[in-house]
Amino acid sequence: MNKTDDIIRHIHSLVPGDKKIRIMNVCGSHEHTIAFSGMRSLMPENLEIIPGPGCPVCVCPESDIINAINLSQRDDVILVTYGDMLRVPSKEGSIRAQGGNYRMVSSPQECIQIADSHRDKKIIFFSIGFETTTAPTAAILESGIPENLYILSSHRLTPTIMEILVKDAEIGIDGFIAPGHVSAIVGANAWNVFSEQYGIPTVVAGFQADNLMLGIAEILRQLKYGETKTGNVYAGVVKPEGNVQAQKIMDRFFEVSDVNWRGIGHIPGSGLELREEYSGKDARKVFDLQEIKESAIPGCICGNVILGKAYPADCKLFTKVCSPNSPKGPCMVSGEGACNIWYKTG
Amino acid sequence: MCVGVPMQLTEINYPSGVAEAKGVKRTIGLQLLPEGVLEIGDHVIVHVGFAIEKVDKKMADEIWEALEEVLQMMDEEEEERARGLSSDGDG
Repeated sequence: MNKTDDIIRHIHSLVPGDKKIRIMNVCGSHEHTIAFSGMRSLMPENLEIIPGPGCPVCVCPESDIINAINLSQRDDVILVTYGDMLRVPSKEGSIRAQGGNYRMVSSPQECIQIADSHRDKKIIFFSIGFETTTAPTAAILESGIPENLYILSSHRLTPTIMEILVKDAEIGIDGFIAPGHVSAIVGANAWNVFSEQYGIPTVVAGFQADNLMLGIAEILRQLKYGETKTGNVYAGVVKPEGNVQAQKIMDRFFEVSDVNWRGIGHIPGSGLELREEYSGKDARKVFDLQEIKESAIPGCICGNVILGKAYPADCKLFTKVCSPNSPKGPCMVSGEGACNIWYKTG
Repeated sequence: MCVGVPMQLTEINYPSGVAEAKGVKRTIGLQLLPEGVLEIGDHVIVHVGFAIEKVDKKMADEIWEALEEVLQMMDEEEEERARGLSSDGDG
């Protein structure tokens, strides 16, 4: 009997025979491991592991994408963003298809090099993602950025969206697998609200299949014995308090804002924008960007997939007309999107 | 975009440094970790070019094992898909 077999057997012994249990992961990399390892097929039938809002480009509002496209078409601008953002569709197309002058970066650090070597242009970094990408953007601001570099912030807060999910009775979440590297920034304690206020076990896990299954077993153990608390099976990386220096730097430059989530809607206090004192670097203010009403993608249920209300396979477009090569909705674009992952794993 | 990879520090010029993984060297930002806690030879988790946490070698190896596990599974799926497409085409 190997270690993996032991964990699976343990999971089976902890699941009650008569009740459906729904555990949500909120990290694209977790969903990746779960789907590619075939873990779901090894779980008890009444245990559902549902993908949640772990894909940052999937929730980026269409309005921000259209504004980014429009900015890139200006003669005096170079738009810079992560590769995943380039192919995300909007009613005006994607940045890659419709964008004028744009560059792909894999780190905010590269924005500084681009700005330094294009002094005659305004460089706009379309900075998106959860806490793991917010902190690096805050880090370049901390070091000082060139005069011609601006930030279009579309950052989102993981704990806030999770709280929205908990309050939605239709979803019915019994436990959360908390994202490993977001937790490295915000700290395992950031999830205490779920056990303390909502009675939902939340366990931080890493990215190995065995480690993820250990996290699932810990959630089930807590449910069985009624002792809800934040667990951490990724303690070699994640501290209870998180990365305090990163939190301080983020707080110095960003403040909480009310924002839209694509396919989900307006969620108060769930985003981050540059603080007023840095408004001279805020592309939204400097370029007077306006909110553009979101349009629905006919047939696409990406919003419900992100919320854990539907699986990719429930979508009529999935694999028929929507594929990674021809994505109709944002969840099919990114390697962290549930539809993209499920497409690749059949 | 949110995948963090462990790398080993080979140079430190705080707030930046050079880190290596799998024979690839990259200049990375260190300012998300306090100056003085890092030494050459330390392992860090790197996200979009910035070290976000220091980890021990055992943890770094385990994370790489997980990444390689997923990469291998993706390769196998791709190969299977390619074989499926090829046999569809033949048939």
